[in-house]
Amino acid sequence: MFWQKGALAAFGAALLALGSAHGAAAQQSVKIGAIYPLSGNAASAGGFSKAAIELAVDLINNGNADLKDVPLADGKGLPRLGGAKIEVVFADNQGTPAAGQNQALRLITEEKVVALIGAYQSGITVTTSAMAERHGIPFMAPESVAANLTERGFKWFFRATPVAGDFARAYSEFLKEQQAAGQKTASIAVVNENTEYGNSVASVIKEQFAKDGLNITQVIPYSANTTDVQPQVLQLKEKNPDVVIFISYTSDAILYAKTMKDLNWKPAIMIADDAGFNDPSFVATSGALVDGLVNRSSFAVGKPGSVSAVINDLYKKKTGNDLDDPSARAMQGMLILADAINRAGSTEPAKIQAALKATDLKANQVITGYNGVKFDDKGQNVLASSLITQMQAGKYVPVWPKDKSVGELKLPYKGW
Amino acid sequence: MMRRSLPLLLFAALALLYPLLVAGSEVYQRLGALVVLSAIGASAWNLIGGYAGQVSVGHAVFFGAGAYAALAGYAQFGMPPVAGAPIGVAVAILIAALIGVPTLRLSGHYFSMATIAVAELVRVLVTNWEWLGGAQGISGPAVPRTVLDLSFTSAVPYYYIFLAVLAAILFGTWRIEKSRMGFYLRAIKDSERAARSLGVAAGRYKLYAYMLSAGLTAVAGALYAIMFGFIDPESGCGILISVKMLIMAALGGAGLLFGPLVGALILVPLEEISNSLLGGKGAGLTFVVYGAMIVVIARFLPSGLLALFAGRMRPAGKPSETEPSHAA
Amino acid sequence: MSSILLQVIVSGLLIGAVYALFSSGLTLIWGMMNVINFAHGDFVMLAMYTAFLVWTTFGGGPAAAVPIAAVVLATIGLLSYFLLVRHIMKGPMLAQILGTFGLALLLRYSAFWYFGANFKTLPDSLLGPPFVLGSIRVDAPRLLAGTIGLLVTLSLHLILTRTALGSRMLAVAEDATAAQLMGIRPERMQAVAWALAAGATGIAGALIATFFYTSPTVGETLAIVAFVTVAFGGFGSVPGALVAGLLIGVIEAVSAFMIGPVYKDVIVYTLFVLVLWTRPQGLMGKA
Repeated sequence: MFWQKGALAAFGAALLALGSAHGAAAQQSVKIGAIYPLSGNAASAGGFSKAAIELAVDLINNGNADLKDVPLADGKGLPRLGGAKIEVVFADNQGTPAAGQNQALRLITEEKVVALIGAYQSGITVTTSAMAERHGIPFMAPESVAANLTERGFKWFFRATPVAGDFARAYSEFLKEQQAAGQKTASIAVVNENTEYGNSVASVIKEQFAKDGLNITQVIPYSANTTDVQPQVLQLKEKNPDVVIFISYTSDAILYAKTMKDLNWKPAIMIADDAGFNDPSFVATSGALVDGLVNRSSFAVGKPGSVSAVINDLYKKKTGNDLDDPSARAMQGMLILADAINRAGSTEPAKIQAALKATDLKANQVITGYNGVKFDDKGQNVLASSLITQMQAGKYVPVWPKDKSVGELKLPYKGW
Repeated sequence: MMRRSLPLLLFAALALLYPLLVAGSEVYQRLGALVVLSAIGASAWNLIGGYAGQVSVGHAVFFGAGAYAALAGYAQFGMPPVAGAPIGVAVAILIAALIGVPTLRLSGHYFSMATIAVAELVRVLVTNWEWLGGAQGISGPAVPRTVLDLSFTSAVPYYYIFLAVLAAILFGTWRIEKSRMGFYLRAIKDSERAARSLGVAAGRYKLYAYMLSAGLTAVAGALYAIMFGFIDPESGCGILISVKMLIMAALGGAGLLFGPLVGALILVPLEEISNSLLGGKGAGLTFVVYGAMIVVIARFLPSGLLALFAGRMRPAGKPSETEPSHAA
Repeated sequence: MSSILLQVIVSGLLIGAVYALFSSGLTLIWGMMNVINFAHGDFVMLAMYTAFLVWTTFGGGPAAAVPIAAVVLATIGLLSYFLLVRHIMKGPMLAQILGTFGLALLLRYSAFWYFGANFKTLPDSLLGPPFVLGSIRVDAPRLLAGTIGLLVTLSLHLILTRTALGSRMLAVAEDATAAQLMGIRPERMQAVAWALAAGATGIAGALIATFFYTSPTVGETLAIVAFVTVAFGGFGSVPGALVAGLLIGVIEAVSAFMIGPVYKDVIVYTLFVLVLWTRPQGLMGKA
């Protein structure tokens, strides 16, 4: 009897030993932990973000001559830390808040990372950033938009991305301009997937539009893991609104594009809130079905030779895809973090925290379309902003606001 | 007596000393807490799924009840999460009583399917229930207000709290195992028809076991919510929560006192360590390993690991009376 | 009836026929062997990737993908039976859940590892334009999938009820020991059942791929519908799966259209639980 228990214990011990075997890596580099969904339903998005963060690190460590304005992109590592290289340790949050938090602890205590970045899904950002807060490690959230994240009184939490309120204002202004230009916007439908992302963005849009006198006539929440979206499209077809705003993930975005064509219905203006409609696999497979689709993005490829164009080329060389918006924001988050660590001139968390608070990047120093980067007391980037893009011949082109546009807005929506 | 209790005592001593043995590693201290937490859930499931042989694949409902009660009490009324736990337990027992009466009349796969359906139904309802945070979920106290919030940086306090709860559950289960109820449950598992014909009030005892199991699962849920400080429909009521309880118990040995603990001792470290080693590569290899391991155990040790050690492997052959395909 | 509502019902029937198609394999296994295959959704997923590979390697449409996927999946079904299912059937029901669930994870993440996490879709132009009948539109891929769905369930039903092979299979399902005494080899019949079921699932997946997205986790989304369809229709009843599939398709479509898409799951699950509680053998199962 006893030896058997002993055997079990030995088995357990072997497993434990396996776990601690790795982790002793080169110490000359500065380690940053990145927690992303690398398995589970959001793994596609997580994989693209991972590649974008790797590209950011590559720029810092190896440089690119065409990106003079972007801080640290000259390939000299972190000059104030003696040219130390950046090393990113990736961890898989498996799409669960628990795995995200477990991995955060491992990265902080075993890998000794000096800061964390992630974690894509807002719910997982809640638990992972709480772990960083307890250990006094800076946490950078480049893409999670849930409003409550910056309302927790955290001292180590920084969010670079614009939030739902920013998008809602952008849509509202955009639509009012179109109204003034003679487009029909009398009835507006909002179609949102009903997990945390879709629900929160939809409710903020509803509030903002009510304030601005835009008339939402139809709201259709649905579950993203659905097998069929025909009923939703038929609900739209029945009421025939002038404008539809879709807030969807990739799987449902693909189904909407196909189903709207099959059932032959389109609005005068079709807007998609980023996410699924910006996923490279959506653009590649369904782009041709949604010509003229208006989208929100913080990243859009500018004229050849511009920072965004150079970066997009590099990303395309690396992955075969154009750089999508959430991944660009992840990349931006990593660049902000690296800039702060460099200015801190130290890997001490408190100094990095102070440097992050003092961040002041101008619009020409960022790779996204942000007006710059500056954090308020709650850790929110107050200069974060969104562009409006339009799908034109299989590519998203920035069309609004005017000063950042590359192409001409073409309405009404063309579709397939 | 000595021969049986000595290894047990040694194991208990090891369990008590574990955080000190791995004092240098917060990750392994936390791993210990996670193992014990999973063992609590799986041991709770074991009462109905193992001893009584009613394979529930919907225990996430009860887990969610405990987790949500803990954090909703905080979010809505500012209560410390632990104060919500008893409410969660009560709600879970109530739900078990309500759905248990019609559902426990089903047997075999039909019972399993019905429990899945109820759990999915509850998940969809919770997703659309704003008071419980809807799809966005609820967070616990981000920064502890008092020690009553049980929000610790170190995993060691969690480890000992969980260990005490597990010990209590195992002791209770052991007493039940030895009691008349335990005898009835095993009889029901072997053949419900035979048990009934011998005058066992099968329906009543199944319901008792179901309610008890539900209440204890809610304890696991509440403890989870206290430790992680966040709950949403998927992590509270998702099908994976139900399946994991079942897998741990089945892997270690369903219907055996220490089966769920053994299952947790193997699966949780396997999951965590393979995610730490392989997860960052992003090729999904964690789950290839995890899935392969489960397949191999199901194939070669269908009654669980402990059955092998205890020499209690049921003679392989015709599936027993728990298998009739239709309702009783 | 408004033409939109008519379109809703037609759409529901079409998706329902597809539900029936990918559920028939599951019900066959369940009926034959009293095993719930938790990896069923992942069988569908593999078939969808097969269709995708057929198209990317030599540009083949459903005409090539359907038979290839049927053969590939039948092979996978046989392998699963001989390497795993045959053994876990002798164990308790828990071992079956454990084994097939482990198989599901293994298949899902092997696909993940091989194909990556990105969503794939077949080109929209693979099959012709939609059929238009008055104000009702029926798109070609769904019509094809629905029609073949009806044909496959019908042929499975005929095989089971009208052929010698079918009666031998049913004899094994009824009582394996007695069947053995009559000279039927249960294992062979069960292997045939797995091959048939997985082959039908292969046909289903190859057809679904023409109008759905393909990703490693797509099986999860589809599996839960298959479970509901099978239990609704009745234990092991192929016609039951057909009726249940059509019914669920229409109920989902109409309730999503009339009440709201988030409530269609509430309605379907509620109905499902009520059916289980009151008529556990399902709509067309044997009592």
